[in-house]
Amino acid sequence: MSDALVLDGIRKTFGEREAVKGISFSVKEGEIFGLIGPNGAGKTTTLRMICTLLEPTSGTIRICGLDNRTESAEVRKIISYLPEDAGAYKDLTGRQYLRFMAGFFTDGAEFDAVVDKAITLSKLGDRIDSKVSTYSKGMTRRLLIARAVMASPKLAVMDEITSGLDVMSAFEIREFVRELARNGVTILISSHNMYEVESLCDRVAMINHGEIVLSGTPSELKEEYGAANLEEAFIKAVSGVKG
Amino acid sequence: MNHLLNITKKELRELLTPGTIVSILIVVVMFSVLGSAMSGESESEAAPKEIGIVYDGTNGFDDVIYDGHNLGEILQAAYYSTYDVNTIDHLHLMDSDPTDKAAIAEEVKNKGYAVAMVIPSNLAANLGAKTQTNVQMYYNYVQTGIFGAASSVTGTVFMNSVNDTLEAYLIINLGGSLPFTVSPLVNDHDYTMVNGKICEGITPYEISATLIGQTMLIPIIVTMVIVIVGSIVISSMGTEKENKTLETLLTMPIKRTVIVSGKLMAAAIMGLVYGACYMVGMMMYTNGLTSGISGSSTDLSEYGLTMDPLDWLILLVVLFLAIFSALSICMILGAFTKNYKMAQTMTLPISGLALIPMFVLMFSSWESLPLIGQIGLFAIPFSHPMMAMDNLMFGNIILVVEGIAYLLVFDIIMILITVRIYNSDILITGLDQSKFLGKLTARFAKKETENEHS
Repeated sequence: MSDALVLDGIRKTFGEREAVKGISFSVKEGEIFGLIGPNGAGKTTTLRMICTLLEPTSGTIRICGLDNRTESAEVRKIISYLPEDAGAYKDLTGRQYLRFMAGFFTDGAEFDAVVDKAITLSKLGDRIDSKVSTYSKGMTRRLLIARAVMASPKLAVMDEITSGLDVMSAFEIREFVRELARNGVTILISSHNMYEVESLCDRVAMINHGEIVLSGTPSELKEEYGAANLEEAFIKAVSGVKG
Repeated sequence: MNHLLNITKKELRELLTPGTIVSILIVVVMFSVLGSAMSGESESEAAPKEIGIVYDGTNGFDDVIYDGHNLGEILQAAYYSTYDVNTIDHLHLMDSDPTDKAAIAEEVKNKGYAVAMVIPSNLAANLGAKTQTNVQMYYNYVQTGIFGAASSVTGTVFMNSVNDTLEAYLIINLGGSLPFTVSPLVNDHDYTMVNGKICEGITPYEISATLIGQTMLIPIIVTMVIVIVGSIVISSMGTEKENKTLETLLTMPIKRTVIVSGKLMAAAIMGLVYGACYMVGMMMYTNGLTSGISGSSTDLSEYGLTMDPLDWLILLVVLFLAIFSALSICMILGAFTKNYKMAQTMTLPISGLALIPMFVLMFSSWESLPLIGQIGLFAIPFSHPMMAMDNLMFGNIILVVEGIAYLLVFDIIMILITVRIYNSDILITGLDQSKFLGKLTARFAKKETENEHS
C-alpha cells in the first residue's frame, strides 16, 4: 500500500507561540489513522494544515503525491474535511445542503447520483427534507459525514467525530467510519478520546505540546509501554516511563 | 458577592469588548464633530448677511427719501431690526446697471451677497405720491442641504424690515390707504442665479423646497443600503464562523475569490432590492410630507435642473462603486469576526462611516465645508453617491468624475486587501493569533490575575 498522506517536519507558529513543532508521520491508503492527544496539543492545527486551511510555517505535506501548498486546488478535489462541532446551514433542508455541497464537485447526470448516495449514507430517511435546524446533534453529524464522503474523497479528515454525541449516536458514527474505510477511503481522525481511537484506528500518532510523542498500532504502543490501554500508554510516554 | 452584581459584572465584561468600546468612541467622536459642524452651520446662517443694493439715484445711499431721511438711514434701520447690528457696513451699493439682470446676478455671485435688492430711483417720488414701488430681488442659489433656502429667507426678512421701517413713518406722517401703507415696497420679481444661469420668477426657497426630498432622501437611502448590505455580509461571516460552516466551505475545490465574490454578489443584490424598496417607500413618504409645503412642486426642469439619462447612468455607477466599497470593507471586517454577536458590533464602524456624510450633507454642503472637511468627506466613499445627484443637476461634473476615480482606486485597494486576507490564516485564526494582540492579551490577562491575587 502506498502513502495517502505524508507529513515531513511540519511546523506552525502563531506569533511567538509554536503550536506544532516539526512533526512527521504518514498514513497509508485505506487506513484509519488516529491523531490523539489532549486539548491544545496541536491536533486541530495539524488537520487544518493538511486540509489547506492554514499554511505551515515550514515542512511539507503531500497528499496522494500532491504538494498541498503548491497544488492546493488539486488537493481540495481529493480530500474532505469535517471540523469539530461543525454545523450545516440551518435554513436549508438536509437535501438542499447536500445538493449545495455536491455542486462543488460534480454536475450533470453524476450530480443526482452523488446526492442520492449521500442521502442514503446519511440514513436520515424522510427527515432529509426537514430543515437542518430541526436535527439532533447525531443527525447533523450523520449529514455532515455523508457530505464529507459523498464525492468519494481519497482522504477524509475528521476532527473529534463523536464529540458531544450520545452513546448510540457515537456507536453509529464509528460503524459508519469503519464502513467507509472498508470501501477504500483513507481516514484521518483526531480525538482526545483514546478508547474511541483504540477501537477504531489501524495506527495512531500521539501528539503533545505540538510534538509526536509516539506512533504505531494500538497493540504495539500498549506493548511497548506495558500499558492496559492507549490512555495509559500516552501518560507513560509523556512522563518518560517505559514498560 | 452579591449575585446581581456578579451577573451584571459578567454581562458587562462580555458586552464591553475592545470592538464595542472603539465603536462607542467612534460614535461619540462622530456626533461631537457633527454637533460642532451643525452648530457652525446654524451660527453662520444666523449671522448678519452681506446685502447688495442696486439703486441708481443721484447720490446713492445719501438720496433723501422722505422728510430729511435718506435711503441709507432707512436701510440701516431695517438691517438693525433684522440682525440687531446698527451699521451700514453690511449693505453694499452695487455697481451694476438696474436693467442689466445678468450683471446684477453675476455681481451677487462674485461678491458673495446673500441677496440683492433692486430699488428704483423713483422711490422718493412714489412715497410722496403714496404709490407702491416695485423692487426686484436677486439671489445666488448655493447647495447647503436644508439651509439651501437661507438666502430667500434673508431677502424676505430684509424686505419686510424695510417695509416696517417705512410703515412707521408713513402711517404717522403721511397717512394713506391699503395696500400702500402696509407694503410701500412690493417685490414684483425674483431672480435666482443657478449654475451661472439666471432663473426668473423663482427663489432659493422654492428650489430648496422642491429639492428637499432629494436632499434628505438620497443620503438616507444610501445610508440604509450601506448599513443593510454591511450587516448582511458581516453577519453572514459571523454565522459561518459560529457554525463552522466556513471551514468546510474553504476546503471545497473552489478558489477563495469565488467564495468572496459569491458573498459580495448576494449582498449587493439584497442591497439593491432593499434600496429600491426604501426608495419607493421614502419617495411616497416625502411626497406626503412636502405636498403641503408651498413652492415644493416647482418644475425645476424649466430652469435646467434636471437629470438626463446620462446623469442617471453616472449616478448608478457611483452608487454601485460605493456599495462595492461598503461590501469590501465589510468582507474585511467580517474576516475578523468570531461569531454572530461580534458581527453585530463590527457593523458599527461601517454605520458610522455612512452616517457622517449623511448628516453633513443634510445640514450642510460640499461648498460650505472648510478644506479639511471637504477632504474628510471626499475620503469617505459613501459621500459620493449622496453628493452625486445634486452635483449632476448643478453641473459640478468634475467633483463627480473625481469621486468615481477615487472610488475605483479605493475599491481596487479594498479588493486586493480582501483577497490577501481571505488567502491568509487570519480567516481561520482571527486576530487571536496576531503577534501584537497576543502580547497585548497576555499582558492584560497577567495584570488581571495579579489584581485577583492581590
